[in-house]
Amino acid sequence: MDTNLVVEGLKFMALGMGTVFAFLIILIAVMYAMSAIIHKFFPEPQPNMETNQAGTQDNKKIIAAISAAITHHRKG
Amino acid sequence: MKYFILKLFTFFMLFSFTNTFANEQMANATESTHKEETYQTRPFAEMMSGFIASTGLNALINPDPDELDSKGEHMSDFHKGVGRLIMILVTFLLFWLAIAKGFEPLLLLPIAFGGLLANIPVAGIAGEHGFLGVIYHMGLSNEMFPIIIFMGVGAMTDFGPLLSNPKTALLGGAAQFGIFGTLVGAVALSHFGFVDFTLQQASAISIIGGADGPTSIFIATKLAPELLGAIAVASYSYMAMVPIIQPPIMKALTTDAERRIKMTTLRHVSRLEKLIFPITVLSLAILVLPEATPLIGAFMFGNFLKESGVVERLNDTLQNSLINITTIFLGLGVGSKLAADQFLVPDTMFIMVLGIIAFSVGTAAGIFMAKLMNLFPGHKINPLIGSAGVSAVPMAARVSNKVGMEYDRTNMLLMHAMGPNVAGVIGSAVAAGVLISLFQ
Repeated sequence: MDTNLVVEGLKFMALGMGTVFAFLIILIAVMYAMSAIIHKFFPEPQPNMETNQAGTQDNKKIIAAISAAITHHRKG
Repeated sequence: MKYFILKLFTFFMLFSFTNTFANEQMANATESTHKEETYQTRPFAEMMSGFIASTGLNALINPDPDELDSKGEHMSDFHKGVGRLIMILVTFLLFWLAIAKGFEPLLLLPIAFGGLLANIPVAGIAGEHGFLGVIYHMGLSNEMFPIIIFMGVGAMTDFGPLLSNPKTALLGGAAQFGIFGTLVGAVALSHFGFVDFTLQQASAISIIGGADGPTSIFIATKLAPELLGAIAVASYSYMAMVPIIQPPIMKALTTDAERRIKMTTLRHVSRLEKLIFPITVLSLAILVLPEATPLIGAFMFGNFLKESGVVERLNDTLQNSLINITTIFLGLGVGSKLAADQFLVPDTMFIMVLGIIAFSVGTAAGIFMAKLMNLFPGHKINPLIGSAGVSAVPMAARVSNKVGMEYDRTNMLLMHAMGPNVAGVIGSAVAAGVLISLFQ
């Protein structure tokens, strides 16, 4: 009976580690497949760089205008 | 003069009434009607000695022989007197660790305070009708709180790093070797007669190696509720000590060249991938291991809410208010198991020792797995991220990053280590499912 317990533990280990690795290996395979499919059929739209730059330029213009107004106000 | 006597009389009336009221509560509830009439006057000295007999000091020095523990069994005098004092000092030590040393204060403080309350004599706070006992039955004995915590953790987890480098999931798998290695160790210990652990108890202890607090509590309440206090305390204190336990093992098992390996930058992961991932993992769990779906299901529910991006309010509640409230109750409920009669037993010492072995073996196994993977062609993996395979999110990943930076200031390993880290959470949930399914 006593000897069985350690053997039982080893059996648990074999089954447990086997399941964990099997699960993760399947998961890895699925992850690769999923990303391949998604990149092929549903590519993410590239973020539009042009509008961003235009946005910062607008911001610069606004900042310039505000600071000009402030200087004008202080002088006045 | 007459007026004065009248006043004195009223005062005594009032005094005796209050005293009766106190007696009444202690006496059997069925005899509560018209107690005032049967009240017998007693000399003041007797009242005084009666009060002294009801103090906590007296209860600690002269334990009540009829006092029962939370399971309705008799406890030894040691557990009623000195044992309680020792446990109260232990909770003070936990306060110090949490406040001065910053060891997982969010959980350690509620646990320690719960432990302090549970060791109060006479009051029976951890008993069936005490509020700690009620909290325990409300959400711990039915595994509710760990599940809610898992939802919150899911909502905080970002699977991006894992998705961009899927093969690092293997590191999270290897680290689960700590669980099963310790399981064998624990049954071997009982085989050679040092302790008397059943297979269920050994399994519950070994899950500490998964370094995942909620999973440990989930398994312990299912397989060995009598060991819950020690397992939860061991699990959370070792998680808090990750920055102390792991680095020496990591440095001992890697060469200087290996520690300097630079990993390729992570690719961008699209939103759709992150959205589909939780459903994919859950579907896999349904097919392979339905026993693990309570944990994985709750985890993926939280993550799905987060990645969906349309339920920001629910996501926010899961990540903040809900997980905070549950943490308070979980901590207090676990603390109720720190009662002297349950904690001050020889098993606790073995659980603490086995826990730290489980933890170290898990760390080492992750590192060896990374070395093994480097034998195959492909992008090299820095073995330092292998140690992050034990769950302990995100502490273990931060430790990998910190040790890496010690050898090369420019080597940022944090994001690479998050992959094995979150895979470790999935891995230990799977391991937990296997253990549960084996005892069905």
